[in-house]
Amino acid sequence: MTTYILQRLFIFFPMLLVISFLVYSGLELSPGDAVSHMISPELASTITAEQLDAMREAYGLNQSFITRYWIWLTSMVQGDMGYSMAGGVAISEIMAKTVPATLELSMVALFFSTILGCSLGVISALKRGSGTDNSLTVAGMAGVSIPEFFFGLVAILLFAIELKWLPVGGRLLPHYETLWDRIPNIVLPSLVLALMMTAGAMRYARSSMLDVLAREFITTARSKGMPEWRVNILHGFRVALTPVVVLIGFRLPLLIGGSTIIEQVYQWPGIGSMFIRSVRASDYPLVMTISLMYVFVVLTASLVIDVLTALIDPRVRLGKE
Amino acid sequence: MAKSSLDKKFDQIRKREEEKTFSTKKRSRIVSKFLNNRLAVIGLIIFTIIILASIFAPLLSPYDPMRVDLRSMRQPPSFAHWFGTDSTGRDVFTRVLFGGRVSIFIGLGSAILSAVVGIAVGCYAGYKGGWIDVIALRISEIFMSFPQIILVLLLVSITGQSLFNLMAIFILTGWGGMYRLARARMLSLREEEYVQALRSFGLSTFTICYKHMLPNALSPIMVNITLSTAMFILTEAGLSFLGLGVPLNIPTWGNILNVAQDILVLQNYWWMWGPVGIVISVFVLCVNFIGDGLRDSTDPSQQG
Repeated sequence: MTTYILQRLFIFFPMLLVISFLVYSGLELSPGDAVSHMISPELASTITAEQLDAMREAYGLNQSFITRYWIWLTSMVQGDMGYSMAGGVAISEIMAKTVPATLELSMVALFFSTILGCSLGVISALKRGSGTDNSLTVAGMAGVSIPEFFFGLVAILLFAIELKWLPVGGRLLPHYETLWDRIPNIVLPSLVLALMMTAGAMRYARSSMLDVLAREFITTARSKGMPEWRVNILHGFRVALTPVVVLIGFRLPLLIGGSTIIEQVYQWPGIGSMFIRSVRASDYPLVMTISLMYVFVVLTASLVIDVLTALIDPRVRLGKE
Repeated sequence: MAKSSLDKKFDQIRKREEEKTFSTKKRSRIVSKFLNNRLAVIGLIIFTIIILASIFAPLLSPYDPMRVDLRSMRQPPSFAHWFGTDSTGRDVFTRVLFGGRVSIFIGLGSAILSAVVGIAVGCYAGYKGGWIDVIALRISEIFMSFPQIILVLLLVSITGQSLFNLMAIFILTGWGGMYRLARARMLSLREEEYVQALRSFGLSTFTICYKHMLPNALSPIMVNITLSTAMFILTEAGLSFLGLGVPLNIPTWGNILNVAQDILVLQNYWWMWGPVGIVISVFVLCVNFIGDGLRDSTDPSQQG
């Protein structure tokens, strides 16, 4: 087992390194450097070439590409993420503010979508082939077909503007600080996100439940004369849902990526809307750090999944592929 | 008794065989299975209607999608303007038709091109194995280490916004999935006897993998192309909605929706963003129905 984990780690770190290098060089190729972004267009004509060079010298931009990458990498490893070009705020500070907001939104959405997806999936498996099953399948497909932001906009119009039940966006109303006060703000974005994710969870739960219902221990339970609901709930449900819940838990990184546009629609101050803002402003240090953070999360999650599957199923770690 | 009815059936089969209706049996079963799937047929019909309406947009609408008409600003839907007009007096229905051209072109074009790249690499690497396969696999893993939308946004920030860049980005982010699919199919087909027979005849690698093996992997690939078309159309819409997709002067479905970021438009002028949102949803739903129908009709495990 240890060798397997070591093998996986042996892939993990080089991968992260290669990706960071690729992203760094990609942003290097994009037009303009840090200095040209720092100077506002109105002032550009008043600044001489010597002054620009002096600035580049001061920021270390005249060093070779590899040197700069090395400096960036070593300070990153030491926890110094550098500064955002817009406003010069430390990136670590920005991360500390936005990551919890995104996690909060994602966890709530994950919670709702798991409960909803699992129960609907089980219902549709129990009533396989019926009208309920078919309409749930169609509803699931509609769920993945509607653009999430469009769905979010309709929800804003309906519940925030017309009915005035919930706020239009944001994470906190001014002067409200407690957890309780936050609930109205999180309801709409998390439900929209959850409904968008339900379809996938439903599909997993349905096929897993169908799989379990065909097993022999279900037949045994039935033949003992056990009432149908006990067979389904105690024997079927419990067995079928364990893998589904594990699987859904690992969709968190996907969810964190998927919440990007919804965060923007609801002005949720998370990492996704910060990323969009930094892309719009060509704030390259921030773009780079945030995208690498996503990569780190995705790679870590897949590492954990692989290790856990290997723990559960020894064939994985013994087999070649 | 049972035998006589069996005999009758057998006679019928023989009769049909003599009339040579069996020759196209496999193809017709797939088509008839697809046609039996009501949702898939409805999807195909609406899909065709929307595509035809976009292609023949100039015939269907008397307006110019780009022409600003300040005398008819923000008019609600009427007989003259079916979906009303936007803040600069442009006819929204016309813009949806013309926007469909670009959006569908991006979605379908990127899906097909990324499939071509993915299949070209996946077939060869999957069949041949060795270092080519290892390198291709690692490269696809690099692309798959990003959440899709994040990678697209990152590449947009590197390359800047244009129609061409967006398609290139979609192909770059989309080929990996297709590559893995093609590779997996090739890995299992590689051990089949007919492939070993071809190899023993001394056929070239190219002929074996592209001419003889690829057709057997085509049906999951077709399904995947439809699903990635749906995904690319949604991604384009999302990006353009954020103002980071196709440049705003080109009408696309996402660019039309872009106005809904303004809360005043959202609140007061529903026709500027509502209908186009519904058109996108319906179109993508149809594409998904078609993909689902294709999967059901071509999946051998479901053939009865």
